Amino acid sequence: MVKRNAFIIGTGITGFGENYEISAGKLASQALTRAIENSKITKESIQSTFIGSLVSGSNSQASIGANCLRESNLKTPYVRIEAGNASGAAAFHQAYLGLLSGIYDCLAVVGIEKLSDFVNVGIVERILSSTIDYQWEFEMGATLTSLYAILTKAHMREFKTTLEQLAKVPVKNHKNGVNNPIAQFRKEISIDRFLKAKRIADPIGKFDPATYCDGSAAVILASEEFILQNKDINSKVPILGSSYASDNLALHHRDSLTELYATKTAAATAYKMANIKPENINVAEVHDSYPIGEILAIEDLGFFEKGEGGRAVEEGLTDQNGQVSINTSGGLKARGDPFGATGIAQIIEITEQLRGEAGKRQIDSINYGLTQNVMGTGALTYVNILGEEEVKK
Amino acid sequence: MEPPKIWREKRGKYLAMGVECLDCMTKQFPFTENCVKCGSENVNEYKLATTGKVLYFSTVTQTTEEMMGSTPYLIAIIELDDGIKITSQIVDCNLLEAKEGMNVRMVFRVLARNGSEGLIRYGYKFAPI
Amino acid sequence: MNKVGIVSFGSYVPRYRIKVEEIAKVWDEDPIELKTQLQINSKSVPGPDEDVATMAVESARNAISRWKGKEKDIGAIYVGSESHPYAVKPTATIVAAALDVEKNLTAADLEFACKAGTAGMQMCFGLVKSQMISLGLAIGADSSQGRPRDPLEYTAGAGSAAFLIGSDNIIAELEGTQSVTTDMPDFWRREGAVYPSHGVKFTGQPAYFKHTIDASKSLMEELGAQPSDYQHVIFHQPNAKFPQAVAKMLGFSKEQIELGLICKHMGNAYSASSILGFANVLNHANPGDRILLTSYGSGAGSDSFSFTVTEEINNIRPYKYDAQYYLNRSEYIEYGKYARFKGILR
Repeated sequence: MVKRNAFIIGTGITGFGENYEISAGKLASQALTRAIENSKITKESIQSTFIGSLVSGSNSQASIGANCLRESNLKTPYVRIEAGNASGAAAFHQAYLGLLSGIYDCLAVVGIEKLSDFVNVGIVERILSSTIDYQWEFEMGATLTSLYAILTKAHMREFKTTLEQLAKVPVKNHKNGVNNPIAQFRKEISIDRFLKAKRIADPIGKFDPATYCDGSAAVILASEEFILQNKDINSKVPILGSSYASDNLALHHRDSLTELYATKTAAATAYKMANIKPENINVAEVHDSYPIGEILAIEDLGFFEKGEGGRAVEEGLTDQNGQVSINTSGGLKARGDPFGATGIAQIIEITEQLRGEAGKRQIDSINYGLTQNVMGTGALTYVNILGEEEVKK
Repeated sequence: MEPPKIWREKRGKYLAMGVECLDCMTKQFPFTENCVKCGSENVNEYKLATTGKVLYFSTVTQTTEEMMGSTPYLIAIIELDDGIKITSQIVDCNLLEAKEGMNVRMVFRVLARNGSEGLIRYGYKFAPI
Repeated sequence: MNKVGIVSFGSYVPRYRIKVEEIAKVWDEDPIELKTQLQINSKSVPGPDEDVATMAVESARNAISRWKGKEKDIGAIYVGSESHPYAVKPTATIVAAALDVEKNLTAADLEFACKAGTAGMQMCFGLVKSQMISLGLAIGADSSQGRPRDPLEYTAGAGSAAFLIGSDNIIAELEGTQSVTTDMPDFWRREGAVYPSHGVKFTGQPAYFKHTIDASKSLMEELGAQPSDYQHVIFHQPNAKFPQAVAKMLGFSKEQIELGLICKHMGNAYSASSILGFANVLNHANPGDRILLTSYGSGAGSDSFSFTVTEEINNIRPYKYDAQYYLNRSEYIEYGKYARFKGILR
């Protein structure tokens, strides 16, 4: 078991959506500033800033941390971490390791993406294509969506999963999103809307994928020692497990298309670190960028038997206060998907649930929560397990 | 579309040239200097089988700008007769007639054009037999 | 003198077709009159991912895969076309790489309107006969352009034919070749222009007919041959009417021209036109058959060839992906899709 010496002491998040008037640096700064305020620490306490981002923004500023920190009037060192759509969780994991190393006591993690500048759909498809095998999938004509279409077909063929079961995923997530003040879409959507939409890569319809958007999310991590020395800190949520695993980048190199091996492997390690079992998890934020993503996640994370994911969603077992509440935030689908910010937004949702601050989204009883953040078609998956809030003093 | 990249990848894209490990005898694609299974450097170029069957496919109607000219098109994972799986488009096929298990053969097509003045990327696609 | 001839051949025609009626509808023309005039029902249309390089490769791969020789022996590749995908950067090098026959060979792209394919054949015959190379590959391929509403729009098709030329295991031995060449402003496309322009009626009698007849007559005279000596004759096919008329003028029968007349459903594939007809003849000809092939390219010139089919032909037949396979497969498209494929809609 890993030494429990990493805690989330504060969170900050911007509204997710189209934010034409704000630059990427400013957006990131808003989330970071809110996280610092929420932590009740001085900004000078932050020793380093880990930025998770896939492309940052249309100005191609790779060192987006520089813009963010200038906007925030901070002078820490910074690093941008890229792991495709899982860049947020990747930055979080690196900061976690930084704390456990003993070198740092207080770190900021910021996830940021600004995608509304890319007004042409084709450009975002191109950005997303960098998360699949560029030479042997993308250049041969595949898109991220078309590969998820193949994952969907594989599951439908193997387990008789239906389009109706798949459509229940975004229906549920949009229902959850109604109660999330930062979500891009806060309205319910009927199942017919999904089923009758034009197919963009059959069987995936136009409204099935999560929508890319602008957004930033930040958390402040601190060690036990730091928390003891900073009396104003009033909340600490322990990070019980944090792991990631990889798989072959190209689908055609994988042994199975009905599971995400990286999710299973990363989850197994995270459960071991936390010394808990899948059934101990009460709430999870999983990568539902496509409906099949959530079905695969709830199976590969061990919440349901392989092949039972579709039925579980259909029967409401993943609804708020179901057997396990999945994507109470609305998920990527309703909250919107600013790639790098998504992994941090997931952690913030679980943190709020553990703190009892999730408002109408709050689940009735909670000990453990989990996040799963996926790059591309699952070549890299990050899994984090957070535990019950240990309120200081 | 970068000229050195197009040049470097032509054997893979034009000829579907993979690799065969002379130690563990595994055939793989794409070409690598080391066997991805046993790590041996004792490898030879190996030309993939040019026929196979469709394992999975999807009809793509929304894609990147450079491929938009070809929509709707079929993308598939194909298992070649030598057991190697690759991702490729299926052409010369009525969209409604595409099916899993369909037998296909390798053909040579334009993969993408860089506008009207840039380079043209050529490579393999598959057509029904 | 050593023998020289065709050792293998391959064809390619894209799958899409558009009917004369469909184009006529757009321009409010009378399709019956057009079809009577052109004697063409439909034309081939390349898919959005096809061009001269892809069609050339497909036809060349067909020539190689039906044949038992070693493609590494190819010492020259010539691709004749008036629609090469690049103005500068050869199609022939793409073909060489796609056949895996880089790098000890000579190669070039040729342009002579619709006869650049046969020009490449002549070059290969010369190189092989002079023993500078042992095997040559000559390809004629076009993805022809016809300006919307121009009469050419009804006929400008696409396709490719490839011929391996050598001196071993010849399937059709070359008896002789003659060309006529004059400066002739009957049809042209300026550098950078998308569509060709032409002299309408001027493309007929003084251009197509004069050159085709002169080259054919000149070759037959040299060989001491009569039209009746040939089982098959193939002429360039800008439409189906011209080659039939020229056959009659030269004294050939309907039966002699029939197998090589392939333009009725695929239109005029320009540099590939007469040689696709030739490829179709080779798919059916018997050993001992004599074949006369005369191309025509605007600008202008004609290359005429006389061949005798040998017993070797049976060693490379039957072959599934022959001209007939490509002529038979078809998906008819509407003008809107045609306009998109051809880049008329941008």
